[in-house]
Formats: sequence, structure tokens, C-alpha cells
Amino acid sequence: MSLGFLDVEAAVKSERFSPVARSPMERLARAAGGQFEIRDGWAVAVSYGSAEREAETVTRAAGWADTSHLGKLELQAEPELLEAIVASNASAPFELGCAHRAAGAWWCPLAPSRLLVVCDPGRLAPVRGLLEQAVGASDVPGSLVDVTTVLAALTIVGPAAREMFARFCAIDLRAGATPPGAVRPGSVARQPGVVLCEGEDRFTMLFGWAVAEYVWRQVDEAGRHLGAGPVGVDALRPLAAPVEVSSGA
Amino acid sequence: MTRLPVKPGERLPVKPGERLPAQPGERLARDRVVGFTFDGRSVQGYEGDTVASALYASGQRTFSRSFKYHRRRGLLCCAGQCPNCIVAVDGAPGARACTEPIREGMRVEHLNASPTLEFDAMRAVDVVGSSLTPPGFYYKTFIRPRKLWPVYEKVLRHAAGLGRVARRHTDRAWRTEYRRRHADVLVVGGGVSGLRAAASAAELGADVVLVDEGPQPGGAAAQDGRHLTAGPLEEQAIAAGVEILTGATALGYFDGIVPVWQGRTLHQVRAQQHVFATGTIEQPLVFSGNDMPGVMLSGCARRLAALYAVKPGHRAVVATTSDRGLEAAMSLHEIGVEVAAVADLRQQSGVAAETLRKLGIEVLPGHAVVEAQGRKAVQKATLAPVDARAPSSERAFDCDLVVISGGFVPCTSLLCQAGAKTRYDPERGHFVLGELPAHVHAAGEVAGAEDAESSGKLAGLEAAHLIGMGDLSSRQEADELRARMAELAERLASVLAPPAVCGERSGKCFVCHCEDVTAKDIRQSIAEGYDSIELCKRYTTITMGPCQGRMCELQAVRLMAQEIGRNLSDVGTTTARPPATPVPMGVLAGPPFEPAKRSAIHGRHRELRANVMWAGDWRRPYDYGDPEGEVMAVHRAAGLIDVSTLGKLLVRGPDAGEFLDRLYPNRLSNLKPGRIRYGVINTDAGRIVDDGTICRLDEETFYVTTTSSGAGAVEEWFSWWLTDWDLRVYMTDVTQGLAAVNLAGPRVREIMAEVTDLDCSNEAFAYLDGKRALVAGVGCLILRIGFVGELGYEIHCPAAHGEHLWDALLEAGAPFGIRPFGLEPQRVLRLQKMHILVGQDTDSESTPFAAAMPWIVKLDKEEDFIGRWALERYSSDTPATTLVGFTLADGQAPTEGAVVLDGAHAPIGQVTSSRFSPVLGRVIGMAWVPAGLASDGERVTIADQDRTLRAEVRTKPFYDPEGEVLRS
Repeated sequence: MSLGFLDVEAAVKSERFSPVARSPMERLARAAGGQFEIRDGWAVAVSYGSAEREAETVTRAAGWADTSHLGKLELQAEPELLEAIVASNASAPFELGCAHRAAGAWWCPLAPSRLLVVCDPGRLAPVRGLLEQAVGASDVPGSLVDVTTVLAALTIVGPAAREMFARFCAIDLRAGATPPGAVRPGSVARQPGVVLCEGEDRFTMLFGWAVAEYVWRQVDEAGRHLGAGPVGVDALRPLAAPVEVSSGA
Repeated sequence: MTRLPVKPGERLPVKPGERLPAQPGERLARDRVVGFTFDGRSVQGYEGDTVASALYASGQRTFSRSFKYHRRRGLLCCAGQCPNCIVAVDGAPGARACTEPIREGMRVEHLNASPTLEFDAMRAVDVVGSSLTPPGFYYKTFIRPRKLWPVYEKVLRHAAGLGRVARRHTDRAWRTEYRRRHADVLVVGGGVSGLRAAASAAELGADVVLVDEGPQPGGAAAQDGRHLTAGPLEEQAIAAGVEILTGATALGYFDGIVPVWQGRTLHQVRAQQHVFATGTIEQPLVFSGNDMPGVMLSGCARRLAALYAVKPGHRAVVATTSDRGLEAAMSLHEIGVEVAAVADLRQQSGVAAETLRKLGIEVLPGHAVVEAQGRKAVQKATLAPVDARAPSSERAFDCDLVVISGGFVPCTSLLCQAGAKTRYDPERGHFVLGELPAHVHAAGEVAGAEDAESSGKLAGLEAAHLIGMGDLSSRQEADELRARMAELAERLASVLAPPAVCGERSGKCFVCHCEDVTAKDIRQSIAEGYDSIELCKRYTTITMGPCQGRMCELQAVRLMAQEIGRNLSDVGTTTARPPATPVPMGVLAGPPFEPAKRSAIHGRHRELRANVMWAGDWRRPYDYGDPEGEVMAVHRAAGLIDVSTLGKLLVRGPDAGEFLDRLYPNRLSNLKPGRIRYGVINTDAGRIVDDGTICRLDEETFYVTTTSSGAGAVEEWFSWWLTDWDLRVYMTDVTQGLAAVNLAGPRVREIMAEVTDLDCSNEAFAYLDGKRALVAGVGCLILRIGFVGELGYEIHCPAAHGEHLWDALLEAGAPFGIRPFGLEPQRVLRLQKMHILVGQDTDSESTPFAAAMPWIVKLDKEEDFIGRWALERYSSDTPATTLVGFTLADGQAPTEGAVVLDGAHAPIGQVTSSRFSPVLGRVIGMAWVPAGLASDGERVTIADQDRTLRAEVRTKPFYDPEGEVLRS
């Protein structure tokens, strides 16, 4: 029996049923004026009415976007296998705390035997394919689990992003301590979470799906006084082109 | 703030008090007038004024009433150290007027005086009630007759405390923000040494935060003519990238975290290195009437003049133990205050005294102030030689200002909290810093350094070097500075320590201004046996007031040493504890963090008007307004409940079966793929801690569910053993990633047929089967289990599709009479089946045998498992009590926790669950009873508050006892 019941992409649209995947923060985003589009099977808050205002928010203060629809895969295996997988797919060493962007995904070593891969929803299937293939070809056991809906996500971007985090998170996110590509498991708003620095002043924060509403409120509380606000995913500038490797994906 | 710009040549519309001409380092913006009220009276000041400076300029001399005796108190330190000027600002008590900047329209009120500050009825305590209020009076007086205690208590509580907290929540609500700040170096204190330390470390590349209590950095330099030094240093620090927090107080030191209170923000600064440049605190002298308005420290007088252009008095007497007092006398003379006399405790005063004499000021060597007298404020001061206290040698001077300086003590509280040690230095006459921890540095006066700038620079360089910054040149510079500081330290002049009490006449001599502790009180404490400083502290409350010992500890230690005939080193000091400065509780409380877990379907529950309640850390629907109707819907048609809160673990790997066999008392490795088994989790001692189901998905994958509240603990328990056993097993907690609903009732097959192509017939999908299928187009895991006792399917799907699944099932079930049901109906339904709730029906002593589940323990298992040893023992013993069901013929359900009694009305057990069952038409429940009563038909008595109930024991489920419905 497969683990398809964990897989959002296993949903099948039919005449009678049109399942749409929804973020746990959708209601709050709608209440804040979010405008939604269906993308890759997900209802995604793409904007909050004014692209200009959102651009200004992320330029002058900070904006947060609900990115719970990002694909997330957890691979647990022997360290040697994880090292080999990261080396072949991200052309990088498996180094705790250092994420690498390749093949449209962030490869985030969280523990010696645990790798988290975060990718755009459209990249989920090929990345999963890559990992399944790697695990299947290995002699050592491994466990690949789709944790897309285990972890919700907010991407916080802008010059005040660090100040926002400082209101609810004790992780050291100073530029020197957490440069782009750094991944930091820790407590966010007193809940287990992971903070990934995707670029200059841009962080994606992963946390439990069930506490998402609570986390949104904490972020809102922290950001409001700093001039920050929610923004649609379209206000997030594309990440700097990652070094794509010839992974076959 | 409303600003009133003044054009050149235009007269000010108001007069913000009597002021000196512009002072070189003053903080005032004289073109901006700010208005506020004090006890309803309008007062004006300039922007830059504090409440105290503006009030003092307007003629106010009494700022508060003392804690116990309600004596008038005026400005003493003007530096936020003493308790004398504590006021309420805009209804919030506890603000220090001397550091609180004025704001347009602010409402300032006095504390601790009634009906008015000028006429305080409680002053009677000082005049006639002193004999009733000795130290520890609450242990001695107001205790008899006992029946009057409620009256005493009311009076004492009314009299105690400083200020009143607003009764209405809206008046108390103010937002405190926590801000975590990591840094390489934290510098506490923004004087010359602190600024220099910060700049030096930052120039080497360190990320530095500097915090200073004042409205702007500068420290002592701002008041003593060195303001020109502080300004450029501040600019240098800012240019080097130092983050300077002003009006910011470091509250304590907690294993490297320093909370810094700045207005409505509490910074939690985590730095690798800490530099404390906290300076020194000027000490008062102990003499009769030393608390009178008009008696102030030399620093206070100088601050008033230098920073706020306020003339502290017209005719002054100065009493000092060092040159600081002489310098203050000089400053007062320069601003036009007549200095009547200067009493210098030292016999030889040197150059400064000569300069004063040349100005016509009388300097009395070897003299001390022994008494201050006056009605509302000081009017006369008496000076006398310290070695000849005959009244004939005393001289009295009319004055409205007595400036005192009893020396300076290093402000070591934070350093001591950080692990620094202090020792008594007889040459300095106070406790000085000794050993410092590796990550802690002291700079400037707190370290006893006279060259503040060099000391600061050295501390900054050393801090940066310790985190790997700097180069050979900076290290050489640090070596040179170290040598220079050592050389200077050897040349420090010794200081004359004042006597414990300079003069004791008819009036009270206060050692502690905060708590109104007098020299006499300390002596009495010693006489009663409280002869160590820590005991004396607890008995008299000395050092426990708002100043936290800054102004009184050394005097108390001196007096104690004198009285018990030991040296100060033996007496020692009290322990420094946070907070170093009084702080509103609201600041410490911070913003509310109340993490709540919500299922992916929670929004729908709210739309359905569910009564939502806390269940562990989840928000769950208790019911949808009709719990009985919801129960009946499950029995008659179908019900749908959100069970997303169940713990869900994926356990995978070649050794997954073995892993679970070791954790559960039953056998799971032989479970066939697609089948489900119930399991309980035990401690090593064989006690039940959780339960749930285990579904084998494939050869190497198990899907484990746990109770909602036990999910976290089970995950931790599994992880702990997994680490220890080194098995080839991987575990992923998918609790939050999966929504789950339980569809139950006689018509659920018909509903399932509407939403899935899966064959749900009993033959194809048997009880305790687990299958994967599309339900409403969503990939789901379907478990056929029956917690609520009816035919049911527990459907698990990705949380992102939870709402869709819920909607689809309700829509498909509508023609069949489906209703959503909440926790309360679920509790009734499971009770009918006698399904236990771990933690409610079991406690920390419950074993599977006693909980009537002996069948779950497979002692014939080959493998060892958690709790085996204990369970083997229990298996051969008859448990003292057993969990059974009971029914009541009529009446209301007893309270959960009600006592089960024997024939002699002795307690023999307790009720764990009880409800009225609408389908059975009677009350049912579960209870622990003696094993001898655990047979069908036995009668027990239940005592529930004022009721006595007769119940009949049942050992089989009340509903569908043979499980035919479940398996149908």
C-alpha cells in the first residue's frame, strides 16, 4: 500500500468532484483581502489587490506570503545515502545548516539522517521521482515521505524581515549568522519550525499545518508595527537563478 | 507632541519654571514648550525635560511620601536610582519622575499619600505610630485578638504598596513587544567607557549593541563638563555600526541573555561577550533628617543644573567624603547658589578645598553633617567635627539645600548576576570587583578605573579578540592598555569611608529610603538575633525596595559590621538577583503566545456554529448545539466527526515490526498488510500511557495512531527508544499533515457509495481492514474501526483536502440524515461501548490487567517489550481495583470523580466517566471498584456531593456487547 493518502497530487478531478488543495491560512488571507487563483491544484493567494502597494511593502518594510503550497519531501536514510543524493542532485556537500538550490528545489539537510526538500508545487513530481529512484537504487533503506501538508509555510521578504522574526523567534538570523542558503531548525512563535534563508532579506518559514492560523496571527502582530503586511505570491520576486545541475530532472 | 515654535524675539507663551541661562551640555530645546499636569495642576517644561526637572523648576519640592512613615520625600539622586520621585504617569504607577521625559498632555500623579501629597493622613504613623511599627512589626503587632485579623489585614493591605493598579482591564492594557537581538558584544552603560568599548569592538568588526538608561548616552560625562567627550564618542560608535538603545535598562543576566527594557519593548539580547560599563552609584550619608526634601546627592544637584538648567537651591551646605562634593560646591557657586559651608570628612582636602576657600567658601575639614531640620523641606543643617561630637563644637547653617556625597560604589549588580565576584577593599571603603568570568568585562568606574576611555577601549578590544576579531596590532594595543590600566590602578588614592552613622539626633536616620529602615531598626534587628546581612534583609526588608540596595546596602553592611564588631568583608553583601531595576509585570509578561492547533476543517466547524473548546492543545467542536440529537443521528442514520487531532505516525523500515513489538505488549510484527490492530502503550512499569490503532500499510510500513493529547509524548517516546535501539526504522510524525474524519452509523455504506468506487461491503472491507482509495476525488486511507460503536470508517487524507472531504461527505450524506457530531456525543457513544479514554478512565497506576484488558498483553511473545517484567508480575496478581461499567436505574449522571463507597461508607473507588445514554435511556458510566465487586450485577454505592446513588456493575459494553453492529 503506497503513501498516496499523503499526496495532494493524488487527487483526481472528476465530473462530480473538483478537489482543490487549501492552505490552513486561506481564511485569514481572504479576510486580509487576498485574491486567489488555482495553481497546480492549490488555491493560492496571488495578490492583495494592489501589486504596486505590495511591491512597496516588500521594498520598504516586509511582506509575508502564504507559500504553504510549496512541495515538501522528507527523506530519512543513512547519512551516506543522503550525502550521495545531495551531491548528485545539488552538486553540494551534505552539510547541516546549509541548504542548496538545484533542480528547482531547496535541498535542506536537517539532521545527519534527515533531508528536507522544498520545491515549487510544479516540481514536486519530478523531484520525488529523483529521490525515489535514488532510494530504490540504494542497498540501504530509506523513507521518503511527502510532508507537503505536514508543514505550512510563510515567505517573509523585505528589509524589515529580520526585525519581524525577532518579535517571535529567537533564531539568530543576522546576515552573518544566517546567510542566503542557510537553513535553521528551531522554535518559531514557540512552535517547532524551520527557517530557510532564500536570499537577501528573504526567508521561508516552515511550521506545523495545524498551528498555521496561530503563526499567521503572530506574524501579523509582529509585522503590523513595522509597516509590514501580507502580500501575494506574485509579489515575491523570483529567486536568483539557482545553479541548475544536470540531474536528469 | 504638540510643539510651540517660538519665533526669534517672541516671548514664550508660558514660563516653564525658573531656569538658569543656557548650560553647555543641557538637554533642553528651549524653543519647545511642553505642558502636562501634576495632581491636576498645569505645569510647563521644555522638550528634553524630565518630569522631575520640570516640576523642580516650577517650585515643587515634595515628590512623594515615604513607604512606611509617609514622610515627605524630594529629589535625592535624579538618576533613576532612588525611590523618592516615583509617580504615576497616565495612571500607570512606578515611573521615576527623574528619568521620565515629559510629553504634551501627560497626567502625572503622586503616589502613597492621601488625601493629598501636601496633607497625608498616614503621616500619623511617623508622628505617633512608630512604636507600633518596628522591624517585622507584622510578626509582633496586629496579630491579637485573632478575630480582628480581617480588619487588620484590610487596613494593612490598604496602607501597603506604592500606587494602585488600574481596576479596569482597558486601563491596564498596553502592548509590550519582545525583540530578540543576537549580538557579538553587548555593552551595558553609555558613558565614556561604554561608548569607547562599543566603538572599539565594532571597529574590529563586531556586531555591538549598547544600552543606556538615559535619554541619550553620555553617563556621568554629560553632567560634569565632559559632554564634549561623549558626543564624538557616540558619533564614532554609530559610525562603526553600534546599535545604541537609549532609555533602555538592562534588567538582569540569565545565562547569557540580558533582557533590556526600553519603553514598550523588551529586548532579549543574546551576546557572546558582555561589557558592563555601569559606573558607580553615589552614596548618601546617614544622619538625622537625611530624607528631608532639599537633601540631595551631589550628582543630583549637578544633573539638575547641567542637564536641565535648574537651580537646585539658593543657599547650600555641602557634606562630602571626597573631592566630588567639593567639585559640586564649585559648580553650585558657579551657577549662583550661595554655598554656606562645606563639611569635608577628610582632614586634608587638597587643591579643591583651597580653590573653594579662595572663592570665600568656608571649608570645614574633619566635619560631617549630623542633622538636617525643617518643616516641609530642609531649613537648617548642623555640621560637627567627626572626632569631637560635643554639642559645643557643632555649627548650624540656615539653608534650603544640603548636598551630600558619601562616596561611590561600583554598580556591580548585573556583573554579579553574570558570575563576577566582589571583595571588600578597605582602601576604597567599598566592595570592588574581583574575578570575572571569561565572557564578561568591566569598564570604567565600575572596574575602579579612573581613565574611563582607556578602560573602555581595553574592554572593547578584549571582547572582540575573544570572538576571533582583531589583528596583531589591536592585540598589541590591548597589551599596552592593560599595562597602563594596571599602572593607574596602583596609583589610585585611598578613600575615606564615612562612619556608618554621621550623626544621630532627635530625628530618624534613614539607612534605606525605599523601605523606611532606620539605623535604629538595623540595631534592633541585630539585637533580636538577625545579625547577618541576609537575615537582616529579610527581617527589615532593607535592600528590597525599588533601589534594590543601590543606596542602602553599603550603609547597612557598615552599620552591621560596627554593631557586631566584625569587618565588612566578613559581613559580606546580599545576593544580586534580577530584576536589577523594578519593572512592570506587563513588560515581563510580554505579548501573548497561546499556540492553538486547529484542524484543517476548523473553519467549517465555526460556520456550523459548533461550540468550540480546548482539547489538549487543539481547538475542537464540543458539539453542534444538540449533543443528544447528534448521538441519535449516529445510531439511526450517520454522523461525521473531525478526528484530525489523533496522533499519526508513520513507522517505516525493515525493522519496523520488531520496533513496534518492543513498544507494545501485543504482537504487531505478524499483522498482515491492510489489517489493523488496537494497541496500548505502557511505561517500563506496565502502566498505560496511551492507546490507539496500528495499521500495516505494507511489509515495512505501519501507520500508528495515538490519542489526541498523547501524540507528542508518544512521538517523543518512540524517538527516544529508536535512538537507543539502533534499528533500521524511520519515523515521521504526520499528525498535522492529515485530516481525518470518522463516518459512523447504519447508513454509512450508502454514503460511501456516493463518494468512492471502493467496495465497502462487509465481505470486501471487513472490520479492522485498512484500505487506500479515492474518496470524493481525494487520495485517502480508510480504516474500518469503531470507536463510537457503530459501523464506521475513519478516513484520512491530506490536510489541504480536509475541508473538501468534509463537505463532500456531508453533501453525500444529507439524503441519509447525516449530522456532524462533536466531542461530547463521541464521549457518550464510546462510553456505551466501554471504550476507555486514557487519562480519564486510567491514571498513572492503571495497568492493562486492572483496566479489564488482559487480552492485550501477549506474554508469550518471544521478544522483550517495554513493561514486560512488570506485566508478568501483574498477570499473576489480582488487581486491588478494576475498571468496570455501571448503570443507574434513574437519576442524573454522577460527577466524574465521584466516590464509590463500601457498605460502611468508606471510599473504595471512584467514577471516571458517566453520561446519560439517550439510546439506552439510562445513566451509564465507568468506575474503579475493588476486584471483588467486578462482576455483573454487583451493587455499589456512589457518593456524589450531597447525593447517594445505587449503581449496578456491568463488565460488558452497554451497547452492542457482542460487537455484531461493528462487524456487520
